[in-house]
Amino acid sequence: MNVIGAVKAYVEKITDETEPGMKVLLMDKETTSIISMVYSQSEIQQKEVFLLERIDSPNYANSTGLRYLKCLALLRPTQQNVELLCTELRNPKYGAYYIYFTNIIAKADIKLLAEHDEQEVVKEVCEVYMDYLAVNPHLFSIGIPYCLERLSWNQNALQRTVQGLVSLLLSIKKSPIIRFQSNSKLAKELGSRIEDVMNKESSLFSFGPLGHSLLLILDRRDDPITPLLNQWTYQAMVHELLTINNNRVNLSNIPGVSKELLEVVLSAEQDAFYAKNVFMNYGEIGQNIKQLMDQFQAKAKSHQKIESISDMKNFVESYPQFKKLSGNVTKHVTIVGELSSMVNKYQLLDVSEVEQEISSQNDHSTHLSEVKKLIQNEKIRHSDAVKLVMLYALRYQSHTSNETYNLIELLKKRAVPDPLLKNIIYLLEYAGSHARQSNLFDVEDAVKITKRFFKGLSGVDNVYTQHKPLLHDTLEDIVKGRFKDNLYPVVNNHSSGLRAQDVVVFIIGGATYEESLTVHSLNKNYANFNILLGGTTIHNSKSFLEEIENAFKGEDMRLRKHTRHLRNIRFD
Amino acid sequence: MADTNDIQEGFLCPICHKDLRSPSNLIAHFQDLHSEEQDVLKSLRSIYGKAKKKILKLDDDDLQNFKELTKEKYCLEPSDPQESGPSYSHTNYFKDVRRERLDHRTTETNKLIIRLDRLLRTFGADRKQQEQELVIWLDGTSVTRCPSCAASFNIARRQHHCRLCGSIMCNSCSYFLPYNVAQTIVAPVNSVNDREYSGKDSDTFRICNHCLNMLESRRKVQIDQMSKPTIWHLYNLLQSNIKQIQSSVSLYDRMYNSLTSGETTFLLQDVQALRSSIAEKAQMIDTLSKKIASEPVDCETPKAVLLQNNIRKATSNYIKESLLTLPAPPSVEELESIRHKFAMSFKDDDFMEPTRKAKIQTITVTTGWSPAPANEINDGIENPLVEQMRIVRNYIDQARKAQRFEEVASLEENFRMLRETYRQQQREQSNY
Repeated sequence: MNVIGAVKAYVEKITDETEPGMKVLLMDKETTSIISMVYSQSEIQQKEVFLLERIDSPNYANSTGLRYLKCLALLRPTQQNVELLCTELRNPKYGAYYIYFTNIIAKADIKLLAEHDEQEVVKEVCEVYMDYLAVNPHLFSIGIPYCLERLSWNQNALQRTVQGLVSLLLSIKKSPIIRFQSNSKLAKELGSRIEDVMNKESSLFSFGPLGHSLLLILDRRDDPITPLLNQWTYQAMVHELLTINNNRVNLSNIPGVSKELLEVVLSAEQDAFYAKNVFMNYGEIGQNIKQLMDQFQAKAKSHQKIESISDMKNFVESYPQFKKLSGNVTKHVTIVGELSSMVNKYQLLDVSEVEQEISSQNDHSTHLSEVKKLIQNEKIRHSDAVKLVMLYALRYQSHTSNETYNLIELLKKRAVPDPLLKNIIYLLEYAGSHARQSNLFDVEDAVKITKRFFKGLSGVDNVYTQHKPLLHDTLEDIVKGRFKDNLYPVVNNHSSGLRAQDVVVFIIGGATYEESLTVHSLNKNYANFNILLGGTTIHNSKSFLEEIENAFKGEDMRLRKHTRHLRNIRFD
Repeated sequence: MADTNDIQEGFLCPICHKDLRSPSNLIAHFQDLHSEEQDVLKSLRSIYGKAKKKILKLDDDDLQNFKELTKEKYCLEPSDPQESGPSYSHTNYFKDVRRERLDHRTTETNKLIIRLDRLLRTFGADRKQQEQELVIWLDGTSVTRCPSCAASFNIARRQHHCRLCGSIMCNSCSYFLPYNVAQTIVAPVNSVNDREYSGKDSDTFRICNHCLNMLESRRKVQIDQMSKPTIWHLYNLLQSNIKQIQSSVSLYDRMYNSLTSGETTFLLQDVQALRSSIAEKAQMIDTLSKKIASEPVDCETPKAVLLQNNIRKATSNYIKESLLTLPAPPSVEELESIRHKFAMSFKDDDFMEPTRKAKIQTITVTTGWSPAPANEINDGIENPLVEQMRIVRNYIDQARKAQRFEEVASLEENFRMLRETYRQQQREQSNY
């Protein structure tokens, strides 16, 4: 089960099936993202694809065609795309068309297309199942930033998520048992919708007997902590501080950044340094980047003195690698430099230490005073101050001497903007203790105590990486066969079947890179298990809070149920 | 502590409830500050001892995992190529639907063209009548409005008929097909001399929108089928060259590996020759792609510029990444030392020849290449073996010229065997 491999295999198939010749790849907005997650432009050029076009761009319809090109159309099976394709076929811009839909398409749409192909340019019409964004081999996203509407499914988002997951299951050839988080209506609805499709398309889903694989649908509301924390592993950190959008990082805000670095691509498939350091922590990356620079300097030095012909020859022969290396060096040095300047400027180490302690220890008075101290620190960002209060409020929600009210007063004194303060209410309404089925904080079973104990003894544990996402415990329960039927029932009350070793976990409301690392480490430690993680999107704290805020649009927050006592944040 | 209701965790001192973060700190703290409570200390120690034992016993697995978790560094491996998932083809259904529709359309269009051909032959004063005989005109008495623009007919707006299908329309909805255009449409169907047709060049046919569309789309398809621009030819040339290089490169890889592992199947000079021929071809595709990039383009198709530049870019990437990185063949001295090492380790195997002979004697002609027979200079006196050897020599030369190095290798093997047999024969003869 490797999602990047799965998407690549489909693209491979598509390009191999078409006759040789110059090709243009015709895509829509979403398939462009799907492809760009796994292929670079120069890679796709080696498959004779020399032009990339967007069927939904406003200029496309009026642009001139080149009849000597073959057109590979890779499109989502949407109404709009079918219509655009019909117009295209009536006046074809290219000599031949090979049409691939990334998901199941209705027969009526095929008929409609066939009726418009008057010049007989279409050679192939086919469904390939790659309707999702493959982020890492074990991580995928549907690419929906806001999936909720007044705390229920936005119907478009639900439809898109069903399509995404159905295509994912097909691409990895699984017809799983579906289980869902029992307290989540969203999870239940999604689960039964997927099962409906699987039943309807049973001929497609005929991958041997049921029960060898599991699709587990979770709700972000059960763990609001993980997306709020500052992160210290490379990928997660870059996403939290600089935001990764479809493998791309916008660096244009960095002063004095060179032109080719305005937007950089971080792809583990094409960038060996990144692949090696994706899960390394901040300290290790610092060291590795130094090594990389030394390596580069040594190479650059050897290239400086080209005296003999053989020097010249060596230079020319190693030049492509040299250039690649130099591109990587400047990219990662710039990124790491920016990260470290942000860490210092906003005192993120101090912030993170308190965040981690609140998330994994229980010490009300210490935590309260630490949070207070940081709120009064002028150097930390408003957003970090607010997130600390959020963590405190979630952690000690039922504590008798809860001081959230006073902390909000302190935030007001620091002139934190109103929308940020409102986020505290949104978060507590979204994922306060009333909305969670798992004990986020008080899971103090023997195993956990043991672990903490030994962490203390060996002294290896890093204060900035104490927190383990709830997902870690959930998955460990699956691995150990302790999974509870009442908390995670099977869709339509089927029997839970065999102990599945292929597990797809999907989080409604977005997964995080910290959870991605958790899944990756479990995959490595339990060789028998193969776990994939997916989410409606991949969140950092900012996008997570935006999604929650959006989920309450249209709700009258004056009638809020769980945070009335926090009267100092007003919605009028 | 103020909040006694709360459950505290960590390494708490049982006397003062202070969290000391680690067991060693706790024990030290206890010894320093609460030395009077020695029995508590004792019990504390034994609890840790017990806990340790218990934990070690019970949760060996967990412990092990934990150790791995801290030690192990995680990274992402590049994804291996894998088999693609299922796909579902709609092509047959699509083609069925399309055929049904197009069959109808094709017959319609053909009908129009046959009519057009006939209409072009009509001339004389009674042309209108002839036209009506060929195509039955619709009876216009009950038609009060133009079917395409819905304007009512009257003295000013009169009824007109499409000459091709006989339908009715008003003047502003009519299209006019010039004779000469009509002739080019008909021409491929009927290769008759232009003169047979009558009428002046300025004459036109009045036709309806529908018929015009049918004729136009047919004409478009025909034009598109005919025109293949220069870039198309250049690109095909480029691709066929790249294909040749591809096979040369894989042959080179095989030869290089064989050579550097000490085998004597291929000759160093051949490897060098192949490498320089790859370099020559690389030069060629480089020039070709430059030519494609500089091919002049219509200013109406800005895409073509991008296309041509991208072809150039892809080609130079290919050259850089696949061709420039080819390993250089070993020098003579290097080769000597490799061979020497090889000979040392495989000395015993030298007498295992027969199996190898059997393998090599069959010349593979699967690649479709075979040497032309040598000019037979038969002076009759020569030993047939000598003649054989000469022929094989000749083959080898040809094969080398054609850069068929695998054939060269097997022919060389043949040659060696022939020579061996010949020498043996000579020895036997001299013995007698």
